[in-house]
Amino acid sequence: MKNEMIDLVDASAASSLELARRNSEPTLPNNKKSRNGIYWVQMSPALIILLLMTIAPAIFLVRKSLTNDSLLNSNSNFVGLDNYQAILTDASLLNSARVTATFVGIVVLLEMVAGLFFAQLLHKKSRSNSVAGALLIIPFAVAPAVSAMVFRELLNPNYGWVNYFMGLVGLPDKIDWLGNSTTAWIALIGLDVWQWTPFVTLILIAGMSSLPAEPLEAAAVDGANSWQIFRHISFRLLAPFIGIALVLRTIQAFKTFDSFLILTGGGPGDSTSPINLEIYRVALQSFRVGYASAMAIILLITISVLTPILLRILRRATQNEEV
Amino acid sequence: MRKFPNKRIKPLSHLSKTLIWVWILFSMMPIFFMITTSLKDTEVARQMPPKWLFIPKIQNFLSVLFGGEGYSQGFDRLMLNSIIVTLSSTILCLFVAFPAALALSQPKFRKREFLSSWILSTYMFPPIVAIIPIFIFAGKIQALDTYQVLAIPYAAFNLPIVIWILKSSIEQIPKEIEEATRVDGANGWHYVSKILFPLTVPALATGAILSSILSWNDFLFALALTRSVAKTAPVGIQEFTGMYGTDWGSLSAASVTIIAPVLIISVIVRKRIVSGLTFGAVK
Repeated sequence: MKNEMIDLVDASAASSLELARRNSEPTLPNNKKSRNGIYWVQMSPALIILLLMTIAPAIFLVRKSLTNDSLLNSNSNFVGLDNYQAILTDASLLNSARVTATFVGIVVLLEMVAGLFFAQLLHKKSRSNSVAGALLIIPFAVAPAVSAMVFRELLNPNYGWVNYFMGLVGLPDKIDWLGNSTTAWIALIGLDVWQWTPFVTLILIAGMSSLPAEPLEAAAVDGANSWQIFRHISFRLLAPFIGIALVLRTIQAFKTFDSFLILTGGGPGDSTSPINLEIYRVALQSFRVGYASAMAIILLITISVLTPILLRILRRATQNEEV
Repeated sequence: MRKFPNKRIKPLSHLSKTLIWVWILFSMMPIFFMITTSLKDTEVARQMPPKWLFIPKIQNFLSVLFGGEGYSQGFDRLMLNSIIVTLSSTILCLFVAFPAALALSQPKFRKREFLSSWILSTYMFPPIVAIIPIFIFAGKIQALDTYQVLAIPYAAFNLPIVIWILKSSIEQIPKEIEEATRVDGANGWHYVSKILFPLTVPALATGAILSSILSWNDFLFALALTRSVAKTAPVGIQEFTGMYGTDWGSLSAASVTIIAPVLIISVIVRKRIVSGLTFGAVK
């Protein structure tokens, strides 16, 4: 990330130089340098907006994280690395890091496995499968804030449908889903799996229907059973699509916020409070900007360590597909 | 030779087919709950066991859309805010993304590989991190609770997806077409406006749809950066749960109103949505 930043600053400096040159010289239509100048002009609105929303906030946060700023009082003192030191010994932050990691790990794994299973069953072209495909997209079109509200109502201990149906089939029906940390976790994971498995499934269906038929047919003729075909052929050919789904779901799962705030509110206690929610609360409810900034910077550093790895998988996958 | 293994796995495949339809019907339950509750009176909505046969009433929709007293903003106003913010951020996003995608799809542009990667990497930037500075800065210039303070971040956070969709669409246009127009003596502007642009219209539509859906569904930015004037619908529905418990009828009617347009569009153009959300990697 740092290197990229420096490169970018160099690049924009170079581009303004190029622009200056372009203005001082009579331009030739096929002058290579002037052409690159045009590209920079075309890029500039996008670059300005993206820099304003990513790099500028990052720089701002680094500066704020070295202070004890608060929105509640106006005195601001430089405190050096005190915030970072406090965070690394802050039990609640350690807990929220664990919540985020657990959540991302579990939901991504479940969604990939379920998505592969459903895609394997639904990828053949038939009328019932296209109906299934249309129905599948429904959960993930629902605004996450809305689905979290609806899940909260469904899980209501007194009036909720979930307890009612569980009672119908003879299971315990007095569960206070969101009042206990284990069941609150089940609810959160259930919501995410409900909402996002269809996305994984649809990516993999698209992947499977683009696979060449010959290797599969050849294997079938040779007597391979459907598990062997899946394991040795489909799975390998599908690797780029699995990669895309995995990367995108990991990124999105890291950003999950709505369901935590609305469904569990991080509770009971702070048993389901991820980093995102923790930062939100420290910054916008306690207004401890300095401390929240340091938390945000630690999150950014973590993500920029992961980014190149995820990006490599994604780029390889998209390039394979573009050929 | 092929018949034998196929026969053996048949019962298993029936079982999994059943399983999948059970899952699909099961996953329709929350939607079904939302729609039926939105058509029930408040007393009927609370009944346990749920009443399956009831006279559908559109009372909840009428009261939510035309008479939202007691809340900081009427729901009609929240919907209007959502529409304004969604449309303006989408228009801004497309206007910025198109020229950028044009530049990034030119092989002569030396920094294009690096810039494409960098733009893709901004997709990983967590919104919560951007919110603290935006909140403070917007507070300083008195821009909190305005349409702009939502529309600009939405456009920014949707840019990577939209740029990549447009870029991959432009890259698919055969180079021969551009060369042919050059030979015919047309200038670059003519090529872009008369040939390239019409060919990119489907990708622009995909970008517009995705950017709209993502802005429309957002919760975090609207929660943090608006209070009442520019508050959007997904944040507003939280207020149906208040001191006197949840007003299920109104909440469900409001929820159905929010998700209906997205649901309809998504079912119709689902292949484009999946393709767009994967940065054009899945066709």
